[in-house]
Amino acid sequence: MEVTLSIDPLFLAWSYFRRRKFQKCSDICTKVLEDSPYDQEHDTLPHISEAAWSLKTRALTEMVYIDEVEVDQEGIAEIMLDESSIAQVARPGTSLRLPGTSQGGGPSPAVRPMTQSGRPITGFVRPSTQSGRPGTMEQAIKTPRTANTARPVTSASGRFVRLGTASMLTNPEGPFINLSRLNLAKYAQKPNLSKTLFEYIFHHENDVKNALDLAALATEHAQFKDWWWKVQLGKCYYRLGLYREAEKQFRSALNHQEFVDTYLYLAKVYQRLDQPITALNLFKQGLDHFPGEVTLLTGIARIHEEMNNITSATEYYKDVLKQDNTHVEAIACIGSNHFYTDQPEIALRFYRRLLQMGVYNCQLYNNLGLCCFYAQQYDMTLSSFERALALVSSDEEQADVWYNLGHVAVGIGDLPLAYQCFKLALAFNNDHAEAYNNLAVLELRKGRIEQAKAFLQTAASLAPHMYEPHFNFAILSDKVGDLQSSYMAAQKSEDAFPEHVDTQQILKNLRHHFAVL
Amino acid sequence: MPEVKSMFREVLPKQGQLSMEDVPTMVLCKPKLLPLKSVTLEKLEKMQHEAQEVIKQQELALREQQQAQPEQEQAQ
Repeated sequence: MEVTLSIDPLFLAWSYFRRRKFQKCSDICTKVLEDSPYDQEHDTLPHISEAAWSLKTRALTEMVYIDEVEVDQEGIAEIMLDESSIAQVARPGTSLRLPGTSQGGGPSPAVRPMTQSGRPITGFVRPSTQSGRPGTMEQAIKTPRTANTARPVTSASGRFVRLGTASMLTNPEGPFINLSRLNLAKYAQKPNLSKTLFEYIFHHENDVKNALDLAALATEHAQFKDWWWKVQLGKCYYRLGLYREAEKQFRSALNHQEFVDTYLYLAKVYQRLDQPITALNLFKQGLDHFPGEVTLLTGIARIHEEMNNITSATEYYKDVLKQDNTHVEAIACIGSNHFYTDQPEIALRFYRRLLQMGVYNCQLYNNLGLCCFYAQQYDMTLSSFERALALVSSDEEQADVWYNLGHVAVGIGDLPLAYQCFKLALAFNNDHAEAYNNLAVLELRKGRIEQAKAFLQTAASLAPHMYEPHFNFAILSDKVGDLQSSYMAAQKSEDAFPEHVDTQQILKNLRHHFAVL
Repeated sequence: MPEVKSMFREVLPKQGQLSMEDVPTMVLCKPKLLPLKSVTLEKLEKMQHEAQEVIKQQELALREQQQAQPEQEQAQ
């Protein structure tokens, strides 16, 4: 006699969901729903299909879920048509927009490379730090040429939309829920369905307007007493760019219930409004309620870092590590800070710690290789770079690894190898301004002035924020006798790095020359 | 300490001028530590990559269909 045992399909789906096998969970839910369809129009439904429906929305949401606290991308329109700015020129130490206004005195670009927005590069990259804020419209439009991903026109047309279309691709029969036919008012009255439905609309469909409608109805139904809905309303307002409204909702949610996430969202609003000091105060308030909370401490450190105040950022990252000694971001940032303050041995220890923790990627091996080289542990250098090259996932990464290998070659005096490395960097990423500059220096050593000039000009046009190409061009032109070009290039170099002594020297000499004439 | 009589003696000019010229040299761009990626960023990139793959496959399938159709018409 045959006995076939089978689990209740809904239970199985639930089990798949808990094991994060969302596709399988969603498939089973689809079958359950086919057997006993959940009619979106009428109210005649058995509980089982209601549960399956809700579970499927959750599974689909989880598939494309990304942490909303982390996601932040400013479009050109938001940067240029900024309505929330109070003053044209912010006072020192009160703005994130002007990196030069820090009080702490950031690292000099002679030691630490800069990003396009004029900030020192950090040890860790998040979606919001991927491309810094450009200073002018011209720069904003140019940015996509050298950044890995193009900057969207507005944040509403950016990644969210792309992710929205990505989630549509996963079900070719069309969307699971037809939002336009949904009776939002009806769902808003069912607390057990409305929350999953909201998250589905917000994260999976990226339809912020409908999500906002649902949240507004639901919070009304909850008699404005549910902090969760207020946070969701705030999230919707934030995405729509209504920052002051978002602030109100988050504040009100905090009155109902102290919650770490709400603090983080609210701080995000203030950062977008360019009020870093308010954000810092808020984080400190949050720390009073949640002492030693790692995410809040990290938030403080990030703001200090963005304001070019690397020393206090490092202090806070150290605090983070006291609470959570496996915090990758803190370790990476402290490590890179040590590297660029002439302590590669200590940086090496931090990166080695990351390796022990199981971080295994191209960036880490590249950093290990560089630290080993500058800490004079030559045996490990090349093998680290070999690993890094084996682990690359994109051409840009490969270009960066070859660029750093070029530095190692320069360090050991193998100039032909260095030349080849920089050439390879350019082969993988045609926009690698640093490689162009270094190649120009090598070309000049070989005595090919015209070639060097061309490379320097390319580097300068690709990365106007770097002082090196301008400065080198000034020296080169000076040697050839083209004083006018030399003067112009030196001025650009001064704009990029006002404290550079050699640039000042050149300018002084040139001014003297011109005065004599 | 035993006295070591060295064959070489340092030469310090007692008269005349010692001049040194500081010539500005070209600067190299600095080595770049690559920033590590946050989990969210990695997930975002993975999702975008997967979506691109799906689109590519769909386009390929479409193209194959379009190529197959005229051949069928010719056969008929």
